[in-house]
Amino acid sequence: MRNPSFGAITLVAAALAVLALSLRPAAGQARFDVKTPKLPMSKTWVAYKATLPPYSPPRTPNGVPDLQGVWGGPGGAGGDDLEDHGYVDVTTPPQESYVSDPPDGRIPYTPWALTQRAAHRAGLSRGWPGETGERLYADPASYCFTMIGPRGGAGEIIQQPGSVIMVTGRVHRVIPTDGRPHVSERAKFWRGNPRGRWDGDTLVVEVTGLNGKHWLDSVGNFYSENTRMVERFRMADANTIDYELTVEDPTIYTRPWKMNYPMRRAGTGGTDNTTGKYAWRNTVTVNSDPYAREVWENTCNEGVGHTIAELHKLGFKWFSGVMPPR
Amino acid sequence: MRRWLVTFVLVSTVLAVVWFGVATVAAQTAGPAPYNSPRTRDGHPDLQGIWQVLNTVAWDVEDHNARLGVPAGHGVVEGGTIPYQPAALAKKQENFQNRATLDPEAKCFLPGIPRMTYMPYPFRIVQQREKITILYEYLGAVRFLYMNGNPHPKGPIEWFMGDSRARWEGNTLVVDVVHFTDQTWLDRSGNFHSEALHVVERYTPTGPNHMLYEVTLEDPKVFTRPWKMSMPLYRRQDANAELLEYECLSYLLEDAWTRPNGLPFN
Repeated sequence: MRNPSFGAITLVAAALAVLALSLRPAAGQARFDVKTPKLPMSKTWVAYKATLPPYSPPRTPNGVPDLQGVWGGPGGAGGDDLEDHGYVDVTTPPQESYVSDPPDGRIPYTPWALTQRAAHRAGLSRGWPGETGERLYADPASYCFTMIGPRGGAGEIIQQPGSVIMVTGRVHRVIPTDGRPHVSERAKFWRGNPRGRWDGDTLVVEVTGLNGKHWLDSVGNFYSENTRMVERFRMADANTIDYELTVEDPTIYTRPWKMNYPMRRAGTGGTDNTTGKYAWRNTVTVNSDPYAREVWENTCNEGVGHTIAELHKLGFKWFSGVMPPR
Repeated sequence: MRRWLVTFVLVSTVLAVVWFGVATVAAQTAGPAPYNSPRTRDGHPDLQGIWQVLNTVAWDVEDHNARLGVPAGHGVVEGGTIPYQPAALAKKQENFQNRATLDPEAKCFLPGIPRMTYMPYPFRIVQQREKITILYEYLGAVRFLYMNGNPHPKGPIEWFMGDSRARWEGNTLVVDVVHFTDQTWLDRSGNFHSEALHVVERYTPTGPNHMLYEVTLEDPKVFTRPWKMSMPLYRRQDANAELLEYECLSYLLEDAWTRPNGLPFN
């Protein structure tokens, strides 16, 4: 078996990161006009995958499902608003919800948490209801912080005995599948502490130890340091991973809820995300440029200083996570 | 008879000189028997796993005494001293005086090569047929060493971690790295380079849990000649060893955000 080692060519230098990270959009986002048709997400995917025949994935020499290859992100407009929404602004076109459960596509916040999200939105200075002109928090992605799930982005999956490795141009996750216990909840991480296991054809990753300091999207949807996530990776067909993310946190949600979307194998089209960041979406480029499958330096910290200084001057506060009052 | 004797003496002398020379060269190059490491499916030495240095080179690549919070340590520079050009030596000394603010590590930038290797954080090597990937705990950084037949892309390119092209020489992984910026340093003591830096790294397994890491640095704008550093790399033995997180910028911002003029970016 040959490990595909195709990456994405990203000619993003430090200077470009500054340009891309203006105050509102996250890095590398496209601009959408008001006539953009509604982008498909969870609802369309759930309906489509119900029509697919059963698929038995190839296996690695160790006998586990072979998920290796380079995979696209969730598609859509880059995690701008997880819930179903109409046109918001040039960075946020209309789109179906990422949320597959509850079926209404809404995150089941407690009343306190819903008020908290409204405060996040009103403090963005983006024209959300309740805005007073006072700035609260900027989207933590503006500072280059990384997260798992829809904001985790495209990347390569490499499997080794005892671990599954996920690599983007900027950051890596190593998911042990050797049965070791989690690091204690005393230790918190931006991307949590992942532990994987194989359940039939599905890679199940339990993520604990999240620091609760990131957002789930750029419009204030949030989780906390009590949140546990469970990711499920399953091949729906030879070129598609069916990705499901369960989010659980009794302190801010009334019930566990799920996101569900497909990740397409690089170069096979389908539900590419619309950022146009990765040249492997363009097969002409991939076939004509010997470097097209390489991943080149994709910095963020090194070019974001100006953005950070501007956000600080504008009066945005530091988001260190929020919890309901006791 | 006498001519025979003279010839014998001459030939013996020549043979002795040649033998002595050969023996000397052998003594210099042979060392202990090379370690025959396990192989990957592709037949190359298997360097995979979690590695880390065990030295004080992150603070200073040359011999140094202790300071507050800094352990004393042996340098790793062959010959003891980095061969700086005179102006570069002055700049190094200025860097040292102002290291608290000038060191790129204080801004959480990618530290460049070879500095990334001897930061006091573990890293993991992952081998595939056409590339070797190094995952660093520090900044969650990822580095690809391509062995796909492509040469270095045409410059000028300035990357913090450079462009790495790898090949095997026997048991040794040789990595040629170019296309650097002048914004990274070699340590916390102001040792530096320019964007003209050319690095050759050599990773040689010396036992099941050890590698020899050798680096040649060449920079015609800063050094008078190429120079070399070397140090062992150790495989982490902790049963629960894994790469965790060091998201430098988030800790820096969290600390600085609420202090007036505390942000390093203003």
